[in-house]
Amino acid sequence: MSTKIVTPGKKLGTIHEYEIGPGTYIKNNYIYASTVGEIYIINDSNKKLPCISVVKDKEQSVIPEVDSIVTGKIIRVNPKMATLAIMVVGNKPCKDDFQGIIRVQDVRSTEKDKVQIYNSFRPGDIVRARVISLGDRHSYYLTTAENELGVIFAQSISGETMIPISWQQMMCPKTKVMEYRKCAKPN
Amino acid sequence: MSETEEFKPYTILPGETVSLDKYKNEKDVIKIGPGLLHEKHQISAMKAGTLKNYNNQKWWIDSSQRRYVPSLNEHVIGKIIAKTQDYFRVDIGSAHSALLSTLAFEGATKRNKPNLEIGALVYARVSLANKDMEPELECISATTGKANGFGELKNGFLIKCSLGLCRSLLNPNTPILTALGEHFAFETAIGMNGRVWLNTADISNTILLSNAIKNSEFLSAKEIKQMVKELVKQSEDDMEL
Repeated sequence: MSTKIVTPGKKLGTIHEYEIGPGTYIKNNYIYASTVGEIYIINDSNKKLPCISVVKDKEQSVIPEVDSIVTGKIIRVNPKMATLAIMVVGNKPCKDDFQGIIRVQDVRSTEKDKVQIYNSFRPGDIVRARVISLGDRHSYYLTTAENELGVIFAQSISGETMIPISWQQMMCPKTKVMEYRKCAKPN
Repeated sequence: MSETEEFKPYTILPGETVSLDKYKNEKDVIKIGPGLLHEKHQISAMKAGTLKNYNNQKWWIDSSQRRYVPSLNEHVIGKIIAKTQDYFRVDIGSAHSALLSTLAFEGATKRNKPNLEIGALVYARVSLANKDMEPELECISATTGKANGFGELKNGFLIKCSLGLCRSLLNPNTPILTALGEHFAFETAIGMNGRVWLNTADISNTILLSNAIKNSEFLSAKEIKQMVKELVKQSEDDMEL
């Protein structure tokens, strides 16, 4: 609740005064700022000491971590993988999209060698996935090989929102056409 | 019980609606095929061509465009335009070039890959075709895993024609091929992507055949026979000079 701006390396206090939060680190029993930003001191009744943190912008952008559930839109498919633009991590939206890849062997847990990417995902589908690794320079590696992961929203060729029929198929309510997708279990 | 009318094929343009009610009884099931779209309560044409039917039950539009749209399990003739370690890039005349895996040949293994040069022609089957991905080809039969006629087309001559002409050439009894077969021995491969490959012993015969096939698209059977006779006679006269 304070609005003092600090730079990295600025001594903020001792470990006896505050608990550390994001944007700070401890060295030799002193607390220093590790990023440019404003100091926020929050009093938490559950903990003995108030929590000090240095925050760059008011809204903190979330970053996908290993094992976090992410939601995104499929932007590209090719026979070996589907590329996803990660837009939401957990419940929080990201400021900028991250890129993730779902490889053909990570689409589902059974019959991994018989997976056809085009019968699992299509460009434009909204998919819920889990991060399995921070991946290479370009993208996170994701998996949908669980019941609760997969396509949560898709549009049919005629433009209508499709309804999941089973874990493998979705149906367009207007034209009654069935399309193949790897669907997430609705909760 | 309503009477069904006799249907005569007619030329139709995109956007025209078709009413099929007078051609069927109440309980008949009608199937609509290429070129027709069933939207809400009417059937409209999407392509320019001739509206045809089979038994008043299956309806479609016979159109002849030149741009090929890849479709699963069609047989096409492609030209190799690039080679990488795992696949060949093949031009089949569609919006995107197709990928042909080097392992998709009979008896191909990682050590024994086919030796196709850039510019070679292949006869292949479309194994993956959709609007979101590049099309993929295979040079083996889907069911048996053997070549079955697929693979490289050596020598010969490639001509491009419209898709409608290729479809009619696929019928083994088509007038143009039987008429030409009376005069020449030749080998031909027909791709559904608007490409026909011809192979004869003599170059002048190959040129004659390709001209005859291109001319035959809109001629009737009788006119085709006449045209072939004239072409053969003209070439024999030229030979004597």
